[in-house]
Amino acid sequence: MENLLESTVRQSSSWIEARFQERRSLILSVRNGHFDQCSSVRASGAGIRALVGGAFGFASTTDLSERGLRNAVSAANALADATSRGKTGQLVRLAPAAPTRGTFAVATNDPLDAHTLEEKIDLVLRIDEQIRRASPKITSSSVTYEETLEERIVATTEGTLARVLDMKPSLRVLAVAAADGKQSMGLETVGVTGGWAELLARRSPDELVAEAVRIAVDQLSAPHAPGGPATVVLDPELVGILCHEAIGHTVEADIVLGGAITAGKLGTRVASELVTMCDSGCPPYAPHPVGLMAVDDEGVRAGRTVLVERGILRSFLHNRETAAFFGVPPTGNARAFLYSDEPIIRMTNTYIEPGDTPVEALLAGVEDGYYLRGFAMSGQADSNAEFMFGVREARRIERGKVGAMLRGVTISGNAFHVLESIDGLGNDFAWENGAGVCGKGQPAKVDAGGPHVRCRITLGGRQA
Amino acid sequence: MMDELLERCREGCEAAKKHGATDAEVVAQRAEEISVSIEKHDLQIARSSHESTFGIRVLIGDRLGFASTNATRDLSDACRDAITLARATPGDSHNRFPDSQPLPTVENLLDECASEFSAADAVDCASKMLRVAEAADRRVIVGDGAFSSLRTTRAVANTLGVAASEAASLFTHHVLVTAKEDERVSSMDFQFGACRHAKDIDVAPAVVLACRNAIDSLGSAPGETFQGVVILSPNAVLDILVAPLLFQTNARNVLRGLSRWRDRLGHPVASPALSVVDDGTRPGGVASSSFDREGVPHAALPLIERGRLVSFLHNTYSSSALGVPNTGHAAGSANTLPMIGPTNLALAPGAASLEELVTDTDQGLLVGRFSGNVDPISGDFSGVAKAAHLLRHGRRVCPVAGTLVAGNVFDALCAIMDISRNTQQVFGFTLPYLRIGGVSVTAG
Repeated sequence: MENLLESTVRQSSSWIEARFQERRSLILSVRNGHFDQCSSVRASGAGIRALVGGAFGFASTTDLSERGLRNAVSAANALADATSRGKTGQLVRLAPAAPTRGTFAVATNDPLDAHTLEEKIDLVLRIDEQIRRASPKITSSSVTYEETLEERIVATTEGTLARVLDMKPSLRVLAVAAADGKQSMGLETVGVTGGWAELLARRSPDELVAEAVRIAVDQLSAPHAPGGPATVVLDPELVGILCHEAIGHTVEADIVLGGAITAGKLGTRVASELVTMCDSGCPPYAPHPVGLMAVDDEGVRAGRTVLVERGILRSFLHNRETAAFFGVPPTGNARAFLYSDEPIIRMTNTYIEPGDTPVEALLAGVEDGYYLRGFAMSGQADSNAEFMFGVREARRIERGKVGAMLRGVTISGNAFHVLESIDGLGNDFAWENGAGVCGKGQPAKVDAGGPHVRCRITLGGRQA
Repeated sequence: MMDELLERCREGCEAAKKHGATDAEVVAQRAEEISVSIEKHDLQIARSSHESTFGIRVLIGDRLGFASTNATRDLSDACRDAITLARATPGDSHNRFPDSQPLPTVENLLDECASEFSAADAVDCASKMLRVAEAADRRVIVGDGAFSSLRTTRAVANTLGVAASEAASLFTHHVLVTAKEDERVSSMDFQFGACRHAKDIDVAPAVVLACRNAIDSLGSAPGETFQGVVILSPNAVLDILVAPLLFQTNARNVLRGLSRWRDRLGHPVASPALSVVDDGTRPGGVASSSFDREGVPHAALPLIERGRLVSFLHNTYSSSALGVPNTGHAAGSANTLPMIGPTNLALAPGAASLEELVTDTDQGLLVGRFSGNVDPISGDFSGVAKAAHLLRHGRRVCPVAGTLVAGNVFDALCAIMDISRNTQQVFGFTLPYLRIGGVSVTAG
């Protein structure tokens, strides 16, 4: 396939990027002892992107013969030509990028293929039963194991020929509790780039079950939180979702050009000077994040991009098109989910670098506030950095002591105002956002995290 | 094409039986799409895709396995995957396939000329969306949008005699519009439009409405804090109420013990003003088709009548497990096992106009969109009201920003005070404006 892709792009007179992708997924989902899902999904195909007359066209095909690829190239060229005829704004140019060649494979000594289907089925059944045995208040349990094995090849007319071998397993554990007509749920997740051992080492099944059950049961008797501004300590998962969802999208250069709040603010202060925020395909902290990648889908090597350096906005995330527009090098953030998607600007692993304060000291420094843990998988953020996220677990802090749980808590505000209010960074670090996907027209596996942080934020609750 | 796809499904069933399946079902989906996306108020890219996907569900006794593939020349790998999964998983006596039933004829699904719709036509439609926005008001920017032309062919066959196929065409467009004036930036407004025939394409109404809503939300104030009346727009009804309503009426959640309405059939679950119907047979409907993911016929199904719960949505598994008739709501693509989902879901309109709803409100908030958290189990919702307007003494006072609304969906359904007569199509949902009491509103 590498040879076929390379010969296809070499024969093109226009700029062509050809991507092959073969993806195998396995989904095993058990609920209350019964299988909801036991699915295998195989998909393979090629996506061709052409640049003609300053505009892109994209065609995908499942016909992987020489003729099939040639037809897709013709279609992509015709689509690019049609786009260029309707385009009224700036024509597309591409920033230069050194050709990337080679094979880039996930490092693991315990590949997913080395474990049998029966072993994976046993795992989900065992966890599911464990949830229901954990408390008489548990009325429903659910466990999902998902794995994706993928081969991608990118070839361009400029000489790139990069092959990527990837592997991403994840686990989701859901406990639902009920009492006195009330229901609540606890959801815990883990996902990695790596093999079986890396998945189970990140968070053990026992830990996932204990946390999900504890939150589901405790929330049954928890009162609603009062709304309003508050001093809070956010855990790495909420820090990660703030970095990714509320800040990260506003520094994706395509969103910047669409009028994001960050436009024109490079070099200005946007956060407390404690804050250094990065996006990196190969980050130096905690191994095996889900967004791990050595080369993006334009064939550009993925590096570490410092977005905010000691509170100053330093860079946006780029593909080759926006890099040319801004006159900077591409940052290796062009990603496509499937062969049938064209690469667009996506984050990889987005994080705040850790500080030097022990987490206990961050909590002890709160006179009256809240300790907030976990993203409740709900919420939204806009390109003006205004956000609203559900919180999985909220606890009151009084005179530095973490106390009782509250339910139904959301956090909202402007993410940059939150970053400006940060007065303490923990000396810990964790990736905690690897089990889900980011949606931006097409899904992407990303990760996000950081240390615990102390800041001011608006809590959404119920009026007394 | 329909017959060829159905024949492949039948062949797949036979192949699965040869590999050891007791029974088998093969569903196929062929999609040809041309789309043009808009970003930053300009055309971004034109795309085309042609793909066929086959999903193979096998039973070995009562053990189930599923595999899908887009390698359409040879289904044998997928058959083997499905058989392997079925052999490895525990059985379930309710794993079964439906029997063959007569299918309704659903009108107005296919434009026979849709194959002539070209990339240049799609570019013209997307360009027109931009021109309409510019003509509506120079202060607006279409930050994101798309025009899409989709032709699909679906087929499903099983070893119990189900054999169905259907072709359809669908033209959709959407815009996300923001308005800017000096330093003031409006809320973003989303609007959607769809039709089945190329001759019916009219992108202007959705674009004009999005522009008007964006302009109306310029110059927002902080708002007021109170517990009281909100008027939810069709988009806000979708954001807040529809997902919990579908969660509670999904029979799979009844089986899982997650639906709080599991023992409420025949009982009130909402205000008597509310009636909800799902109808997959609506001529030309965005989500219309004659059969569901398993080949079971679609039909109009009342879910809530004058506030009383009258049915859940079922597929073959849930109808077997609960011992009730199958409503034909198996949902999902050829890439997934059949789930349960709605088709064209409609909240029945009321008698009042939107302006009458506003006139009847002494203090309230008109919510254009909702961005926040909705828990489908507890029903608790809390989030930011977008494109919102403060209402006082029956009039819109001003747009407000950063205002939080919170409450409980199930309390809100019972607290519906009024429903507008005008409805709006948002994807497969037909939704009116709802005036609801008892919602917590907190100024930002």
